[in-house]
Order: sequence, then structure tokens, then C-alpha cells
Amino acid sequence: MISLGGGDGGGGSSSSSSSASRKSSSRAKATQTKWRTGTQQKIYGRRLLDALRATGGAPQPRAVKAAADSALALTARGQTRWSRAILLSTCRRRVLVKAGGKIRRRHHRRPAKAAALEPAALKERKVKERLRVLGRLVPGCRKLPAPALLEETADYVAALEMQVKTMRALADALAAAQLSSASPPETERS
Amino acid sequence: MSSRRSRGGVSEEEINELISRLQTLLPSARRRGGSQASTTKLLKETCSYIKSLHREVDDLSDRLSDLMATMDHNSPGAEIIRSLLR
Repeated sequence: MISLGGGDGGGGSSSSSSSASRKSSSRAKATQTKWRTGTQQKIYGRRLLDALRATGGAPQPRAVKAAADSALALTARGQTRWSRAILLSTCRRRVLVKAGGKIRRRHHRRPAKAAALEPAALKERKVKERLRVLGRLVPGCRKLPAPALLEETADYVAALEMQVKTMRALADALAAAQLSSASPPETERS
Repeated sequence: MSSRRSRGGVSEEEINELISRLQTLLPSARRRGGSQASTTKLLKETCSYIKSLHREVDDLSDRLSDLMATMDHNSPGAEIIRSLLR
């Protein structure tokens, strides 16, 4: 029996007791459990199959990745910034092709790292640097302030894990089906 | 979108809270002991984890595109998969 949604299904345990973080703690549980439920995996699996089928039979790897990403963003239901950014990026490309314009990347000027005498300030600068790198990795989150960025990251990481799990299960299933259905003369190679 | 900004800046507590939440998602959190990690290390690990996940997605995309290219649409295998997921 081939099952794509064989996840562990268990929610992560987040232990936060401070009252100020009550909102974030409930959302943390929601984030962690949301992407790990079997339902989400099934929904994503179906969307992924639809998207792959829509590519028309023999897609390039880039097209497969785009299909997987847009299916993932759809499954996120546009509730997060990264998912909206992915959905928008697929539309934006078409608009740009029509307009004939190019996307110009703003040149990232690395700020000169002056020697900070206080260890606390130095550490804070390193943290800011890491946060900037993180903002570039998560789609659509380059200019987010730290707390929003970290929330998006948490959701994005959970979603990516589910994406990898589902795609791997699909690839394994396809490979197994091909092995079993391949006729002997084809598999024999001299 | 409501912006929660107090005093024009973000308190370090909030950031630490969010980072500890992030830590539970990382694979390193499943190690026993040594649950403390500095902020920069955690952020760095998050970045490299996301990059490795991206790479896995790329590899799986390659694999899937190969599989789909060699898949015979009339073969029972494709039908089985589709029917199982309907």
C-alpha cells in the first residue's frame, strides 16, 4: 500500500510559561502541528500531483521545483508572508515578460564592520548579520523586522520539511511503480 | 497587519522567545542535553538547515523530473498512483 502521508503526526512540545508570550506560544503549537499533520501532507500531496500533471508530462527540474513550491504556497493558504511571496513571484514573472523589463537587483553594500569595543555590541551585530542572511533565504522576508522574520522562518522550515518528505515519498512511489511495471527487455542492458 | 512595536524597538525577550521556539524545530533540538545555544549559533544553524532543505528539494525535483520523463503514461504504475490518491 503506497501512502504519501506517512508522517509522525505528533505535535512539537513548546514550553513557554511567560504571560507575554501567550499569543506566540499558541501560535507556535499551531505552526508545529499544522505542517506535521497527516491532513496537510495529503492536501499537499494532491496539490503537488495536480501541479505536476499540469506541467505536461516531461517537465524540466526547474518546472518541477516551481510546481512543488507553488503547491506548497497554496497549501499554506496565503496566511504567511513567504507563501504569498511565492504565489506572487509566479505571477510577476509573466507580467515582466509582457512588459519586457528586467528585475534589477539592488546592490547589497556590505557595511564596513568597524571594530566594536564592547562584546555585547559585537554580538548584536553578528546577530543582525545572521538575521539578514536568514531574511534572504525565506522568500519575501528581506525587510522584515526580527520577530516577524523568526515567525515566518519557523513556519517556512516546518513547511519545507513536509515538502521534502512528500516529494521523497512520491519519488519513491514512482520509482517502485516503474520497477514493478517495467517490462524485462527494457530493463536488460548489455 | 498590526505591528507590535513597543518603544520603537523589539525587546530581547521576545527575540529569545522566538529563537527558542525556532530551536525546537531544528534537527539539533532532538539531541539530548545541551539545549542551550547562543543566538548566533542557532541562527547560523537555521540558515544552513534551510539551505540544505532547499538542496534536497532541488535534488528531489531532479529525480522527479527524470522519473516523469521515463514514465510511460499507459503503464499501470502511473494509474495506480493516481487512483490511490483520489
